[in-house]
Amino acid sequence: MEELNSHGTRQMKVRLTGFGGLSTFIRPPLHRLKSTPCALSSSVLFSSSSPPASQSHQVPLFLRVPKYATPVSDLQKWYSWASDLAASVGSTFLVSDNGPDSSLLCRELRWLLEDALQEDIDPSLIHQVGVNSAQREVNLKTGIEDLYKLWIQRIEERRPFQYIVGCEHWRDLVLCVQEGVLIPRPETEIIIDLVADVISSNRGLKEGFWADLGTGSGAIAIGTARALGGCGNVIATDLSPVAVKVASFNVQRYGLQGVVEVREGSWFEPLKDVQGKLAGLVSNPPYIPSENIPGLQAEVGRHEPKLALDGGVDGMDHLLHLCQGAASMLRTGGFFALETNGEKQSKLILDYMEKEHRGTFYNAKAVPDFAGVLRFVTAFRV
Amino acid sequence: MLLRRSRSVSSLQTNVVRPLFSSSSEPQTTLPSSSLGSACPVEDSSTTGSSSCSPGILNSPHGSCRKSALQKSLFLASAHDFAKNSCWGSPSTLSSVAWRTHDFGGLRLLGTQAAVEASTSDGLTVDRILSNQWPILDENESDWKSHATAISQSINLIKRRLQWKKLLVRLQLLSAQLEKPDIWDDPAHAGRISREQGSLMSKMKQVVAFERELLEHIDMIKLAREENDSDLELDSLNALLRMRRISKEKELEALLAGEQDSCSCYIEVQAGAGGTESMDWAAMVMQMYRLWAQGRGYGITVVDEMLGDVAGIKRATIKVDGEYAFGYAKSEVGVHRLVRISPFDSNKRRHTSFAAVAVIPITGDGSTHVQINESDLRIDRFRAGGAGGQHVNTTESAVRIVHIPTGITVTCQNERSQHQNKASAMAVLQSRLDQLEKARQTQMNMEHTQSLTDNSWGNQIRSYVMHPYRMVKDLRTNFEVSNPDSVLNGDIDGFIMSYLSASVDKDGDSQ
Ligand SMILES: C[S@@+](CC[C@H](N)C(=O)[O-])C[C@H]1O[C@@H](n2cnc3c(N)ncnc32)[C@H](O)[C@@H]1O
Repeated sequence: MEELNSHGTRQMKVRLTGFGGLSTFIRPPLHRLKSTPCALSSSVLFSSSSPPASQSHQVPLFLRVPKYATPVSDLQKWYSWASDLAASVGSTFLVSDNGPDSSLLCRELRWLLEDALQEDIDPSLIHQVGVNSAQREVNLKTGIEDLYKLWIQRIEERRPFQYIVGCEHWRDLVLCVQEGVLIPRPETEIIIDLVADVISSNRGLKEGFWADLGTGSGAIAIGTARALGGCGNVIATDLSPVAVKVASFNVQRYGLQGVVEVREGSWFEPLKDVQGKLAGLVSNPPYIPSENIPGLQAEVGRHEPKLALDGGVDGMDHLLHLCQGAASMLRTGGFFALETNGEKQSKLILDYMEKEHRGTFYNAKAVPDFAGVLRFVTAFRV
Repeated sequence: MLLRRSRSVSSLQTNVVRPLFSSSSEPQTTLPSSSLGSACPVEDSSTTGSSSCSPGILNSPHGSCRKSALQKSLFLASAHDFAKNSCWGSPSTLSSVAWRTHDFGGLRLLGTQAAVEASTSDGLTVDRILSNQWPILDENESDWKSHATAISQSINLIKRRLQWKKLLVRLQLLSAQLEKPDIWDDPAHAGRISREQGSLMSKMKQVVAFERELLEHIDMIKLAREENDSDLELDSLNALLRMRRISKEKELEALLAGEQDSCSCYIEVQAGAGGTESMDWAAMVMQMYRLWAQGRGYGITVVDEMLGDVAGIKRATIKVDGEYAFGYAKSEVGVHRLVRISPFDSNKRRHTSFAAVAVIPITGDGSTHVQINESDLRIDRFRAGGAGGQHVNTTESAVRIVHIPTGITVTCQNERSQHQNKASAMAVLQSRLDQLEKARQTQMNMEHTQSLTDNSWGNQIRSYVMHPYRMVKDLRTNFEVSNPDSVLNGDIDGFIMSYLSASVDKDGDSQ
């Protein structure tokens, strides 16, 4: 199951560790890494971050097999090196582009350790001193040298933490993500609450087809399917083949193959068979105005796919297209929810519905996110 | 052997003092009526004189049944299940204790057990044993009188700790309520009553069974002597010795007889004023609890942790999962004081700092479940400023919930999704509100003279001195230890036990 072919050296390590303890021979000189992390050429360091050329998705760290026996003392060395590196960031990222500060990075470091350790080991061993614990070996899900690389990528390259560990905790789900797929945002968690509210007051909507357009990691589709609780079906679409792959994997992980169907294609194109039949249509389409793309936080702008972010000149291209399509896709009484860039876009959409689709939707309204930003538009098909 | 035993057992007498729980017409009705079906072997057994009594009475003397029975009764959904599991036990329980089957004559009415004063065939009771004032010799001395006296003392102490008389009255009250035909119209209320009744009943039955067992062995010894059966005498003497050892454990267990004692809990530590030194102290206190909990085999989850700027923690909350976590940890509530030369003071001066500890039970069974109104909450989520949504990628997922009516504020930031942080913050808030409600009820009922709220925030309970001398002293019990390091490494059971016995025994005496 583990994908190793994208990274030849890892394959070798696996074979070597198979003989027991031999992996030490191929461990790079850590002291060099430790003292001069910046001196390493980035092309070597970042090789494992490039999206795989292969057909399958990447296996997130926490799902890999813990087969890299590592002395606790080595792990402790890495951890303290990584903490120092995180601390050296201070608030420079925060000031420059609203990026993470060192306390956030330190928390991410703890989570990285948590994901990398075999399950039955308490991560607090990293702070335990004494000869006994330091000489102990623990099994990691990746080699210690890879942990050095990963953390350098996090700090120097601003590679998103979620790509580093290959997953994002979203609602009560752990979704696998990788380069090429948008990391689901906490704001979007609310869409599932909106869906759950709607179906609890309108049970009829539980039956029938729901659609999540531009599903990315599959977050909304999976959340919706679980909210439907065994009734209905969800069709999840995306134009990006990587997204389709990753979403399918996540759907499988939650055992929803029979409930969520992932289709590849542009917006409504793969939905011809359910025209006028949808009980619900939810989407978080790209909505960032093109001119804002260059100024984005490094983690977003440099690493997340433009296809998932760029919404055209005023960010409205896809939102309006979806509004228009919703009119013909939804059945009578069908529910419609969109995530937007905020108040301005939400109002434009409500305006558009009112002017261009008069009499098509009812109960159209803008709904705030937890920060009070009017983030969502919801409506029902007449 | 077996034959002989049953003969001797049938010679046991019981004096029915006062049928506490029997109603005039239907004595069995301490149980919900639905439970009196085939699951109840008691009527048969008493008439045939050969089969078993309630397994509650026959509980293993090793005390292992107690917890599980207690636990079972906590999760019972209906009166039917309740009666089947916690009063009569499963058939397998019956057979496993069948070797000690006997008949207590008038005792088949469950409710009357406590009111019946058990005695040996020649009228010896626990009280009479004690009034004989036989000397208590070393365990190794094979003297049944000494064993019997030691065991009787324990039984008395246990009863005091359980607030025996109050317990019986409460049990009677609850059983009467469960008799009402309409009780299950409000299943939540009935569930609470039935859970409490089940838990009290099982405590009561354990003590009664222990007492009976003592007398039974004494009878056996006398019989053995009459018949010159030295094997039997030795057997019984050894059984008494076993009981004597177990009784010490039971004394400790009885310290944790509070309704919520068996719960898991949250432990919160907050640094007092005084900057880095006190934040470091707070972290040391939290570490002390982590190590303590680890040593006891409890599960530990960090719910929230706010690090100090230089070192230590401003505050932190951990969840401690396991049986009796709350029962023990509740002894730690209050302010802990540290005196030492601060490593953060370049002038090497002596500093005094404080850390406040709160402990909140996680009741989980809904016994006191405060309904939370969403509209009473202010929920703040921290995240990088700016436009949010697709613009921002952050792993910051902290959630702060303020319960406006009470001002209780809970922060959670240890989960990796906002949704989960909100869920665990809500769980902490729920437990806090439940605790508050419980304290309010307790005050209303005037049940406990000393409740948790009395000695919570603001009350100094323990002093840890590193300089000029080394000592940890509990200001409530005067229990002290001269090695602060071992205490800070989690060795706090001595403090806990001495506090528990001091407070429980004081309560028990005053009734
Ligand atoms: C902002 S992301 C949302 C991903 C996911 N639904 C979430 O909330 O995390 C937008 C998604 O729309 C997809 N997308 C962009 N253009 C599309 C198109 N023309 N048809 C279908 N999907 C498209 C992108 O690949 C991306 O996965």
